[in-house]
Amino acid sequence: MSARLTRRRAVLGACGLAVAGIAGFRARAAARGLVARSRAGLAFGTTISLTAAGPDPDVLEAALTEGVAAMRAVEHEASLFRPDSALSRLNREGRLDAPPKHLATMLAFALTLAETTGGAFDPTVQPLWPLWSRAAEGGGRPDLQAVRHCLARVGWRRVNLSPEAVVLEPGTEVTLNAVVQGYAADVVMDALRARGVADAFVDTGEFGAAGTHADGSPWRLGLADPRRKGEVAAVIAPFTGFAATSGDYNMAFSADFRDHHIFDPATGFSPRGLASVTVTAPTGLLADGLSTACMVLGRERGRALVAGHPGCAVRVTEKA
Amino acid sequence: MRVSGVRRTGWMAMLVAILVVARLCGSASAGELDRAGIARHFPPPLVVGEKDDTLPVWPILKQQAGSYEVFAYAFESVDFAPIPGFGGTPPDLLIALAPDGTFRDVTVLSHKEPVFLEGLGSEPLFAFVEQYVCLSARQPIRVGRPNARGSGASPQSTVDGIAMATASTRTINQSILASALAVARGKLGFGAANVGLSVEAKPNLFEPLTLDALQARGLVTRLTLTRAQVTKAFRGTGVEEAGEGAPEDVVSDLTVALLDVPTIGRNLLGPARFEALMRELGPGNHAVMVLNAGPADAAENPLGETFVLGAVPERLTVSQGGLVVNARDMAVERRGAGLNRGLPAGDWTILRIDAAAGFDPSAPFTVTEKIVRERGQILSEKIARDFSVETKLPADLFLRVAAQEGPDWTESWRARVPTLVGLGAMLALLVPVLARQKGLVADARRFPAFRLAFLAVTVGFVGYTAQAQLSIVTLMGLVRAALRTHDFAFLLYDPPSLVLWAFVLVSLVLWGRGTFCGWLCPFGAMQELVAWLARPLRLRQLTVPPRLDRALRKVKYVVLAGLLAATALNSPAADAMAEVEPFKTAITLSFLRSWPFVAYAVGLLALNLFVYKGFCRYLCPLGAALAVAGRLRILDWIPRRAECGTPCQLCKVRCRYGAIAQDGRIDYHECFQCMDCVTIIHDPGQCVPQVVARRHAKRIVPRPVVAVR
Repeated sequence: MSARLTRRRAVLGACGLAVAGIAGFRARAAARGLVARSRAGLAFGTTISLTAAGPDPDVLEAALTEGVAAMRAVEHEASLFRPDSALSRLNREGRLDAPPKHLATMLAFALTLAETTGGAFDPTVQPLWPLWSRAAEGGGRPDLQAVRHCLARVGWRRVNLSPEAVVLEPGTEVTLNAVVQGYAADVVMDALRARGVADAFVDTGEFGAAGTHADGSPWRLGLADPRRKGEVAAVIAPFTGFAATSGDYNMAFSADFRDHHIFDPATGFSPRGLASVTVTAPTGLLADGLSTACMVLGRERGRALVAGHPGCAVRVTEKA
Repeated sequence: MRVSGVRRTGWMAMLVAILVVARLCGSASAGELDRAGIARHFPPPLVVGEKDDTLPVWPILKQQAGSYEVFAYAFESVDFAPIPGFGGTPPDLLIALAPDGTFRDVTVLSHKEPVFLEGLGSEPLFAFVEQYVCLSARQPIRVGRPNARGSGASPQSTVDGIAMATASTRTINQSILASALAVARGKLGFGAANVGLSVEAKPNLFEPLTLDALQARGLVTRLTLTRAQVTKAFRGTGVEEAGEGAPEDVVSDLTVALLDVPTIGRNLLGPARFEALMRELGPGNHAVMVLNAGPADAAENPLGETFVLGAVPERLTVSQGGLVVNARDMAVERRGAGLNRGLPAGDWTILRIDAAAGFDPSAPFTVTEKIVRERGQILSEKIARDFSVETKLPADLFLRVAAQEGPDWTESWRARVPTLVGLGAMLALLVPVLARQKGLVADARRFPAFRLAFLAVTVGFVGYTAQAQLSIVTLMGLVRAALRTHDFAFLLYDPPSLVLWAFVLVSLVLWGRGTFCGWLCPFGAMQELVAWLARPLRLRQLTVPPRLDRALRKVKYVVLAGLLAATALNSPAADAMAEVEPFKTAITLSFLRSWPFVAYAVGLLALNLFVYKGFCRYLCPLGAALAVAGRLRILDWIPRRAECGTPCQLCKVRCRYGAIAQDGRIDYHECFQCMDCVTIIHDPGQCVPQVVARRHAKRIVPRPVVAVR
């Protein structure tokens, strides 16, 4: 479960790989009467980018502006980077009346997934984060006693969600970092679709794609090699729908990737089995949640979980 | 001065009008660039990202294999640090800060600095800000004197100043640093906290230890790489295998030691070489030794053929907290002879880390060796892998010196010592001359010569050399500081002016405004010298009708009130209004300014051929301010006689300032202390009552009388 993200790129070579040359691309796109527009920026502690293709550049620009705004709205509700976000307020005060839409959706999903996975996925691991990051800054690991002590504050049943309010038991803190980027991809894609954009590629840290490039070639998604920085291990092409990757190499606390930002809520330590998991799914929220759950569950139980969700597929890389 | 009720209403109306104008002109500073504007400064292949929604910062991104990485954060200084410039309007700079805190770009978007706009042109300013590119915001940067870098100031923490533009460059520097630190705090995770921190090894803490013991304690660290390790790191790149040999062969074996810690350096170098090194290093700086005991001819050797003596090594970096620290080879004792017994043979370097680099030796630091391999024959591609070793020295080896409060105003005081001495000498000469009224002042022949000479020095030395023309702008700055910035430190950066202000305040309380206005104001002196030319030119001074004269005298108070009101309201019009003072044109910029300003200043000077010191008497807001403050004056020190006024009107008629009332009393608010009347009163041949008394063989004594209130 990603407690807080300052991610390096999980996935590389996203949308540009198929394009042989800009000029050729433009010519083919023009032949189809389409143009492409894109935006880039920073959100969720990483770089994001949106690309949309269509016949009218003004429509595209307007759609992209709305896409960015939609993503910012998600950030405002569920970012732990922002002390003023609804989620930060919930963690500070233990209670949030009239939870806003995005937060409520993500939290409901997270709690359901927690139940489905028997607590392997858990949105309440947040208290483990400062413990581990402080220990890692000193070059060590937290002591067992401290981890145990911290685990007493972890447990998804300690969150009570109703349409009126979210109430946390004392000491409980929620993170939605495991699902927020995937969910943001959904929200952005919806915003683009609402403007009639049929061809789009969304990178919010997790990925979503619809249609094709402006020149008609399929979107391709390169999956990063978890052990060789900057190398592409596999390519999904054509890529449509949503994909999310969880790995031990982003935000690793130790050089051997043993300790990282995903915690097993049962032990308070990072799960041992997998180096990275990529899940493709009909929504970003599902893809993101499942990928994190698979990291904790391991190869076999992870596959079984994903198999229970129609339209989803999983690729795993085991630790060497 | 008395103001009638009717007139007061007029004043109020004028004030209100000024306030309205000020409100209309005033607007909060805000950045001016939109996305397209930013994109013009960061053209493709750079991409301007979505503007941050919490801070007015634009991420500038660089596309990297399908995704983006942050190239820099671009922002306008005025959004974070609207520090008023010389004229009161904050300069606006476009700054791009790299994620590691390095300035990628600094550009002037707009500024109202008169010294550049009207005098030097903007080119020197553009060149000035370019100096910041590649400097790091993680350390304090000072504006040195012109050519400071060339004469030995640290190029990482000093930029060359511009002569005549000290105040403006200081504002620009503060704008750049303050806004960069604000953005760094918000975006990069560092702020002002560590700036100026100095951590030095305790000089007397020494324990004799062998290299093995030092390594065992972690004081000296080692990075040993075998061929197998390097091969593994390059796996999948197509250049795994390089060179021949067994996988377990050591290809690189680095020993890392922070030499300025005596227990490390003295043990490794021996006492003599250690002392020599410390002398060369200088206090506050650090020296990291890296020795490679691996095969010297291996391609992996970072100190091999590619190593350039005295340079920042390409394949060795020292970093701390994820940031590379500038570490340069010292090029000392390079020929393998420098190290003490017990150290393995091999190439070595001693890297110097400047005190200003913000390096904290008591915190963990990392030495990274970069191994580079080339793929392909013709269009070869470089593939690099990094190997690092961290050194973490015990904190009790070091003294943490409290952050230096970078008091860069002390430098301006030190640099101006000769000027201050000259100024002090002038004042030390002037005061007794004015105080001893039967001395030089009474000498009708020599005193005018003294006065002319003194005024010439005031123009040349106080004005042009010391640049100590006091100005209403300082008072406006005080108002701004009092109401808004609460930072009065700006006064400290101009020592000659501050000294002169101090003197003026004292003389104001004792003698009135005239000491400054008549003797120490360079523009005033310049006017008097021009007026002196009237006689040889056979020009006759016009006599302003008394009623008009009285009315005109009040204009300066209106000007003063308007200026202070505009300043208090933070109106940008204040700066334009301050141009009523020609001092900047005449003295600061020595008439190197656009023609309307020059015409105005020259016109005011020429006016003296007809109307004596018209500017001083009618317009000068500084004079008005001093006259108002001069009401605190405690001495009525200009001597008078009972006969002054009734019946004698000689002094009144001769007073070129109209500062003697009909009844003979001195109007100290208008008196410039030219001493003409004092000379007269002590001259038995001129002073009418004395002439009369001598005729009657009587002795009369002059005495001060109550002044005009």
